[in-house]
Formats: sequence, structure tokens, C-alpha cells
Amino acid sequence: MSNNLKTALVLASIALATYAGIIAKYWLLNG
Amino acid sequence: MSAVVDSHGHPADEHGQHDQHGAHHGPYGGIMRWITTTNHKDIGTMYLWFSFMMFLVGGTMALVIRAELFQPGMQLVDPDFFNQMNTMHGLIMVFGAIMPAFVGFANWQIPMMIGAPDMAFARLNNWSFWLLPFAASLLVISFFTPGGAPGVGWTLYAPLTVQMGIGMDLTIFAVHLLGMSSILGSINIITTILNMRAPSMGLMRMPLFVWTWLITAYLLLATMPVLAGAVTMTLTDRHFGTTFFNAVGGGDPVLYQHLFWFFGHPEVYIIALPAFGVVSTVIPAFSRKPLFGYTSMVYATFGIAFLSFIVWAHHMYTVGMPVEGQLFFMYATTLIAVPTGVKVFNWVATMWKGSLTFETPMLFAIGFLFLFTLGGFTGLVLSMVPIDIQLHDTYYVVAHFHYVMVAGALFAAFAGVYFWLPKWTGRMYDERLGQIHFWLTMIFFNVTFFVQHFLGLAGMPRRIPDYPLMFETWNRISSIGAFGFGVSQLLFLYIILKAIRHGEKAPRKPWEGAVTLDWTRLPTPAPYHSFETPPVL
Repeated sequence: MSNNLKTALVLASIALATYAGIIAKYWLLNG
Repeated sequence: MSAVVDSHGHPADEHGQHDQHGAHHGPYGGIMRWITTTNHKDIGTMYLWFSFMMFLVGGTMALVIRAELFQPGMQLVDPDFFNQMNTMHGLIMVFGAIMPAFVGFANWQIPMMIGAPDMAFARLNNWSFWLLPFAASLLVISFFTPGGAPGVGWTLYAPLTVQMGIGMDLTIFAVHLLGMSSILGSINIITTILNMRAPSMGLMRMPLFVWTWLITAYLLLATMPVLAGAVTMTLTDRHFGTTFFNAVGGGDPVLYQHLFWFFGHPEVYIIALPAFGVVSTVIPAFSRKPLFGYTSMVYATFGIAFLSFIVWAHHMYTVGMPVEGQLFFMYATTLIAVPTGVKVFNWVATMWKGSLTFETPMLFAIGFLFLFTLGGFTGLVLSMVPIDIQLHDTYYVVAHFHYVMVAGALFAAFAGVYFWLPKWTGRMYDERLGQIHFWLTMIFFNVTFFVQHFLGLAGMPRRIPDYPLMFETWNRISSIGAFGFGVSQLLFLYIILKAIRHGEKAPRKPWEGAVTLDWTRLPTPAPYHSFETPPVL
């Protein structure tokens, strides 16, 4: 796996985790 | 901006590097070039033209608003359409015009400034751009749906958004596409800067424009998903029975405001930081001096980015929050003046005792410096809780953020276009017309927006199509200024087209104070493929 791909995957996972985390926090944890 | 074709016959640069091989794999011809291109210069060009078109669309909406406000009473549009104009003007200008303009600069300049052959993910770069026209189309199409476009303001506040027609769904989908484009673009920019710099170009040797974009890309990556999450929750509230923002089901409309502004305030710096980067490139070039305090500029950019995450609730002082909360957000907001002050001081110190000349890019950079600082000061005024409670949602706020967004970001974008146009096209713009464009823009901008401070201080609320007679004079002046400002931008279009078609051939380095790799190591215009072999610094 190239360095570029590794960097991109780390960054993309941060974005995805933030997106899902925001919704999950107020959905599953009810605020 | 589309004059870069290939590099037939370009000589090796002054360091003897043969890194222009466009003749072997130049672009397709016709429309396929633009649809299929993976070249950072082509994609940068598309971003810039797209942003200018959106600027004209959003500007036309602003003129509808200002025409209605020319005198009290309802003249031209009904209140609902007025609200739709306000909403779409904001969304289109922020997401369609200003942000793509700076992504255009990033695409063109970052690889050339760090000695990289292209962006790290060239196909992803193409996709990031081509998401934008679809998102813009959704926003425009929303006007033709039952109920029209959403009239909720660019902030898309709940619970209004839960009540809007199908136009709201199109807008939510558009915001998702715009967010996806920004996130993919950010991943590309960060990866390019971290992994593809020329050997021996350490982080602290990067041009400040590159630094500001690196930090901006992290801001985008951290905040865009929050906005996407908030509008997704709006969507599920509308159609899937959730009540995130609906008090009837135990939800909280204020939660939306928290989520939006957690994105929205860093968004201000997502727009401002690349503008700082452009100005930090232009001012040293026309002062013929290195940028004063480079290291402190880098740390000030970090400081602004960090603080932008802990000040969001200064947009919400009036929702009812504990006084401790108000105090925290007030002090944190005031603190932003420190790193911003460092930057303003450094720009002025760069000019101090420099061999200054005042070509159009420098005029716009100085205009930026003067007016952005003014916008910063009114921001400080608004950060004060007792004052903000009086001025909240008045025209004072409108004046403030237009000094930041227009005089800040737009002036810097103009400075950047005039500065890099010779590098992009190989042609010079008409300097006399450029200067006329600057002065018309400068004068009409202030005629439009300075008087709005008075309207706000007198208590005129924003987002209303009608107003009491006492506000008429300043509104008339503001509307006249807006139309003058709008017409002045057609001159900009003429200047650019004239330069591309009939401009004088640009010398290799028209700005003697320019020191970045794009000017010192590449011919003008920049070849279609550059730095296929990393430059030796």
C-alpha cells in the first residue's frame, strides 16, 4: 500500500467517524 | 485561464531540468478534455471558472435583494421569494463561489509551489470538481419545485427546515454533495502536501500559501462531516420520523444551531486562511522583501485554526445560555484577535521599508488588509455579549461578515487571479483596466456595506423585505453601491477574457519579487505537465 493511500485512508476514516459519530451520539445516546 | 495547453517547444528551465513532457501525453481536445482531465491545472481552471459563474449567479440574487430594499414597502418580489433569494445567495456564495475559488488556487498552485508533478489522487481530483455542478444544479432546480427553494437562510436552521417543501430535500442533497467534494479535496490536498513535496523542502520551507491550505484542509476534514451529520439529521426528521430537532418529540432546535456553528465558525477560517495565504504571497512579491515573521505566521495560522473550534456559540448568545458559557465564548472569541493581529502586523512589517510598487494584485492585497482588519474589528465588537445581544440579527452583522467574506476573501481572490494569471495563461492583463477594476470595487464595496453598519446600529433587522421609512436613506445608498459593485465585476470578466485572447505575452517572471518555485523553476505559461522530475532545491 502506497504512502499516499495510507494517508488518505487515515483522513477518510477521521471524516467518516466524525460524520457517523455525530449522528450516533444524538440518536443512540439520545443527546 | 484556459490557455495552458501543452509544452511543445518549451525550453528547459534555468536549472537545466527537462520536466515538461506534455508533447507525449497532452490533453484531449474539446469538451472531453474538461470532463476526463486529471491534470491539476485543468481542474484548477475549472474550479476558477465555476466559482466565477456561481459568483455571478449569487451576485444576481444579491441584486434582487438590494433592488427590493431600495425603498420601503413591497415592490418587486413577494416575501417568500425574498427569503429564498437570501438563502440561495448565502449558500451559493459560500459553497459555490468563494470556496471553489480557493480550491482552484490550491489546484493550480500547490503542486507547482512544492515541486510535485500533480495532486496525489488525480482521478479523485476530477471527481471532487465534477460533484460541484450537480450540487449547484440541485440548488437552482429547487426554485422550480412546489413551494420553491428553501427560505430558511443559509444556516438552514431547524425547525423551519422541517417544515419546508421538497426544495429543502434538494438543498440537503446539494449540501451533502458539496461536503463530499470538500472532504475529498481536503484529503487530496493534505496527502499532496505531506507526501509529495520536493526533496529537502521541509514543512517550514513551504510557501505560506501551502501552509494555510494544509491547515484549511484539516479544518474542512474536521467540520464538514459535522454539517453533513446535521443536515442528515434534518433529513431524517423530515422523512423518517426522528425528532432530533423537533421539540414535539423531545428534540431540540438549539441542538441544530450548535452543530451548524461548530461547522460554521471554522468555515469562516476555511475561507479566510487561504485568502491569508494569497495575501502572504502577493505582499512580499510587491514589497521585494521576504515575508516578515514567517514562523510566527505559521503558528498564528495554527492558533486561528485551533481557536475557531472553541468559539462557535458566539453566534448564539441570544438562545439563552448560562452566563459562564457566554463569558467563555466571549473571551475565546476575543483571543482570536491575537494571532490575527500577528498576521496583520507581519503584513505591514513586510511592506515597511520595502521597494513597493502598486500593481493590481498589490492594490487588492492592500485593500484586503485595510478592509479585512475593519471587518475583524467589528467582529470584536460583536464578540462582546452585551453588545451582540443588541446587534444580533441586525444589519451590523451583515456589514461585518461582508467585510470578512467580500473584502477579505474576494479581494484576496482577485489579488491571486491578477498575480497568477500570467503564469496560468502566459498573457498579461491590462494594468490600467485592472487598477480601474480595483478602485471601482473598493469604492462600491464600501458604499454598499459601510452604511449597513449604521442601519444595524439603528436597529434594522436582517432578512426582511420591508422596513420603516427611517431606514430609507442608507438602504438607497447601499442598493446603489451594490449595483455599482455588480457592474464592476463585469469589467473583471472583460479584463480576464481580454488578457487570455489579446493580452501581451507575459515575461517569464513578470513580478521581480516573486520567489516561489512556480515562478523561479518553471517557464511562463506553466507547461501542461510540470516537475515530472522533482526539482533540486
